[in-house]
Amino acid sequence: MTDTIVIGGGLAGLAAAIRLAQAGQSVTLLQYGVGGLQLGQGTVDVLGYAPELVSDPFAGLDAYVGGHKGHPYSLFSPDEIKASVDWFAGLLPDLLVPGDGQNHRVPTALGAMRPTYIVQSSMHVPADVTSVAIVGLRQLKDFYPKMCAENLAKTSGWATSPYWLDFPARAGGVDSTATSYATDLDDPDTLARFAAALKKAIGNEDAVGLPAILGLRNPQVWSVLAEAVGKPVFEIHLGPPGIPGMRLTHELTQEALRLGVRVILGSKVIGFESEGGRISGVLHQQAGRDKVYKADNFVYAGGGFESGSLAMDSYGVVTETLFGLPLAMGQGDSGPLPSHEDLITGDYWADQGLFLAGLAVDSAMKPLDGKTAVYDNLHVAGGILAGAIRWSEKSGDGIAIASAVRAADAILDAQSAKQPRNEGKE
Amino acid sequence: MKNLSADIVVIGGGSTGVGVLRDCAMRGYSAILVERADLAQGTSARFHGLLHSGGRYVVSDHESARECAEENAIVSRIQPQAVELTGGLFVVTPQDDPAFGDKFLAGAQSAGVWVEEITPGTALRQEPRLNPGITRAFRVKDGTVDGWQLAWSAIASAKEHGAQVLTYHRVTQIHSADGAVNGVSATDLRTGEDVRIACSFVLNCAGPWAGDIARAAGCSPVEVVPGRGVMVAMAHRLVNTVVNRCIVPADGDILVPVHTVCVIGTTDHKVSDPDHLEIPRNEVQQMLDAGEVLIPGFRQARALHAWAGARPLIKDDRVSASDTRHMSRGMAIIDHSGRDSLRGLLTIGGGKLTTYRLMAQHMVDFMEEQTGNVHPCTTADEMCPGGEKGHNYLITHRLKDREADRLESPIICECELMNRKMFTDLLKAQPNSSMDDWRRQLRIGMGPCQGGFCSARVAGIAHEESAVDADRATGLLKLFLEHRWIGLWPLLHGDQVRQAALDQWMLHGTLDLDHVPSSKGVEPEVTKPKEPLVVPASDEGKKSTTEVKEGNND
Ligand SMILES: Cc1cc2nc3c(=O)[nH]c(=O)nc-3n(C[C@H](O)[C@H](O)[C@H](O)COP(=O)(O)OP(=O)(O)OC[C@H]3O[C@@H](n4cnc5c(N)ncnc54)[C@H](O)[C@@H]3O)c2cc1C
Repeated sequence: MTDTIVIGGGLAGLAAAIRLAQAGQSVTLLQYGVGGLQLGQGTVDVLGYAPELVSDPFAGLDAYVGGHKGHPYSLFSPDEIKASVDWFAGLLPDLLVPGDGQNHRVPTALGAMRPTYIVQSSMHVPADVTSVAIVGLRQLKDFYPKMCAENLAKTSGWATSPYWLDFPARAGGVDSTATSYATDLDDPDTLARFAAALKKAIGNEDAVGLPAILGLRNPQVWSVLAEAVGKPVFEIHLGPPGIPGMRLTHELTQEALRLGVRVILGSKVIGFESEGGRISGVLHQQAGRDKVYKADNFVYAGGGFESGSLAMDSYGVVTETLFGLPLAMGQGDSGPLPSHEDLITGDYWADQGLFLAGLAVDSAMKPLDGKTAVYDNLHVAGGILAGAIRWSEKSGDGIAIASAVRAADAILDAQSAKQPRNEGKE
Repeated sequence: MKNLSADIVVIGGGSTGVGVLRDCAMRGYSAILVERADLAQGTSARFHGLLHSGGRYVVSDHESARECAEENAIVSRIQPQAVELTGGLFVVTPQDDPAFGDKFLAGAQSAGVWVEEITPGTALRQEPRLNPGITRAFRVKDGTVDGWQLAWSAIASAKEHGAQVLTYHRVTQIHSADGAVNGVSATDLRTGEDVRIACSFVLNCAGPWAGDIARAAGCSPVEVVPGRGVMVAMAHRLVNTVVNRCIVPADGDILVPVHTVCVIGTTDHKVSDPDHLEIPRNEVQQMLDAGEVLIPGFRQARALHAWAGARPLIKDDRVSASDTRHMSRGMAIIDHSGRDSLRGLLTIGGGKLTTYRLMAQHMVDFMEEQTGNVHPCTTADEMCPGGEKGHNYLITHRLKDREADRLESPIICECELMNRKMFTDLLKAQPNSSMDDWRRQLRIGMGPCQGGFCSARVAGIAHEESAVDADRATGLLKLFLEHRWIGLWPLLHGDQVRQAALDQWMLHGTLDLDHVPSSKGVEPEVTKPKEPLVVPASDEGKKSTTEVKEGNND
């Protein structure tokens, strides 16, 4: 019998599964699709804009939450968020570099300096760098070094120079994806050829910025490259598919498997069974025959609108698509949602109210109907929570990790209250 | 100030204006077209895409029906690249009166429009998504037409015959002396420079804005009644044939497959300002309901984008002004010599894109009647550039092209299969254009992702390849996304909400577009004049002498 089933293999789902497995639970992770991590940039955002640039994401949190009624962060103290994020960073100490109380700034393909709390080691730029070579690959259509360099000169304070490198991922190809470059660079011979070409192409800048293609399975590609060119090398965020996000997903999945999590990929949870106010099982769509998975607890980390867990139909009715849970505009709100005409407006640059919609939860991350939990053993985490426009604030990862940790700990607490265990959580 | 001269100035670069320019040039006149924005960005960009077979008018207006049938064949021949020969169906749905089918058949016969009744089963085999409850079905020769391809190839033809084109030039005044037009003033909206064109004839083809132009000539008001219609594009071709309801023309009764989408339309509401056309949500809902009648499950399909266009109807006393659908669909030409004692100015209104060539012929004939010159019209005989191969458009064209050149140039817009070379070629020809201008010609960002993936690439290439600096490239990108949103938010639902969230993550979340510096005002303001058009001391007494020449009555 599985102790807990986690639905969704994005950041929140993986974090919850790992946390539970660390404490000795038997965990099954049901995952359909690729998860938001692989669409994003593979960093851990806590709070980047409030809306002005945030340097210490924890210091400003109380004030920010005070001004944003119903924000998911209102469910946590800044210390708890910091502890959760630090726990997460500790899972992959070779890959992740936390910001030591301050946000990092990582360049994007368009030339913004994006704030984020934890970067991957391949994105880290030493503080004493003043001039940077920005290098594009002719066959990679998602990165234009001149545009990036010109904008970075304004946003970063670095002196930047753009360069092109002619390096098809496949001989004769003109349209190589970030994924094919990243897989190629995992290969030491290709990496050596790439390093040689790169060294020839650039000038005497202090460091080299490259699109985020530096290895999919081998997280050390950047350091081999840096060694070869004799100066720091760093990755610049690209649109999806995001290689650093895939890297992070891969490492987290490996960690989950190592801890004994049963990971079932590629099919959808399409229904559920409940009994006496508890979920007893979820229906998993499988070839041949749908299968019911049973467990004591369920963590639903299915993501937001982008993942299909929240949806709006042609009449403007917004729903949570799996359990049909009640929706709210933020934490502490008990719905119903405003009419869809008020949720979407014509101002492209304004935050759309629709994307605040989601689930309101109690302190155990159980979704609420008014003031009572809908199911006693259903906990939620991540993008499905109401109350934040995560892409504007740059807060999605912090919300996912803090809520996943809280959901997992609530399950563990309830379990130890019932049957005290020796192997406690850390 | 720049000075130019020509025999004729054509105002407005929609389908009517480009047709008139081509006709003038082919008759040997020197002619200049002045358009305040890009070619075909007014009504001719915001229409339904149907190349009428005439079927729609066989019961109400035989003459219109016959003209459509004839022009459909001509346009398909002279501009094959702009036309897809989809064929059309008229179907009697369970909500409609089967007896109307008899009127339809009889009308088609007397109008000379080709119609063939088929069994509902045959129709359903052809279009399996159709409402299985249809009781009758008729085949017609409807096609679908790309207004941009049509306009650009007509312009290429006109240029071959010596015509000139000034886009992003707003006409500010029409000059006259001794009761005759002698010139036009315009402002280059990109540089602010004034241009004066000496000419002896002005042909006002400004569509819904024709009234403004008449005012700029000092004429008494020409009342144009913009009839706003809303259309909704669905992300797939739910049908491959144009599907019409076999009823008296009404709202939302046609589904038109164009390129990779199909478009349901349309509505008709009288509005006052063609520059600011709303896309009311209730009309979007009305279109979805209408789609449901033709294709059950329509509301579950992915809706992509909505837009509104304004029918440029000149007010006609025969019907009340609030019911614009039943005003003359045919064109009207106003002769200002009789009406305002101003020689050398004609204003055209109404019409359809399908009959644009014929409208132009009528207008230029009318001009020649006044000037006493007579030249034959040859616009139906000569092919426009780009159509030489004689192949009509097929949805698979780009697929075939990309199969052939996939090892030469990367695909920049996956939804619409546009590669880098297509874009850089256009960039060379039109480096100062906006991203929307490029979109209209290449369909950048018109597919399911609505620019989410390709727009940042396009900005990067534009900067890399041309004189556009990073500030302007980023400004163009931001403006493009803003403009896409206009057609997205009123209908956002279903999978497109998911897409919108993903696009937000990519552009704002990951790439942090909001914090990339950019310049403002990257596109000239075409809709709000810096100074009001010259308002004449109006001469009310002349109003009664209005001579309206009806295209339909020729
Ligand atoms: C909702 C709707 C659906 C339709 N569907 C179809 C269809 O399916 N099939 C069909 O055949 N027809 C259809 N039509 C009709 C067809 O679209 C129009 O008849 C045709 O596009 C009109 O072209 P136009 O050149 O007269 O006007 P426009 O295309 O509007 O051109 C007028 C131009 O004048 C310019 N202008 C205005 N003021 C100035 C100035 N001061 N200086 C310089 N330039 C100026 C404008 O910028 C504009 O580009 C539809 C129309 C509507 C509204």
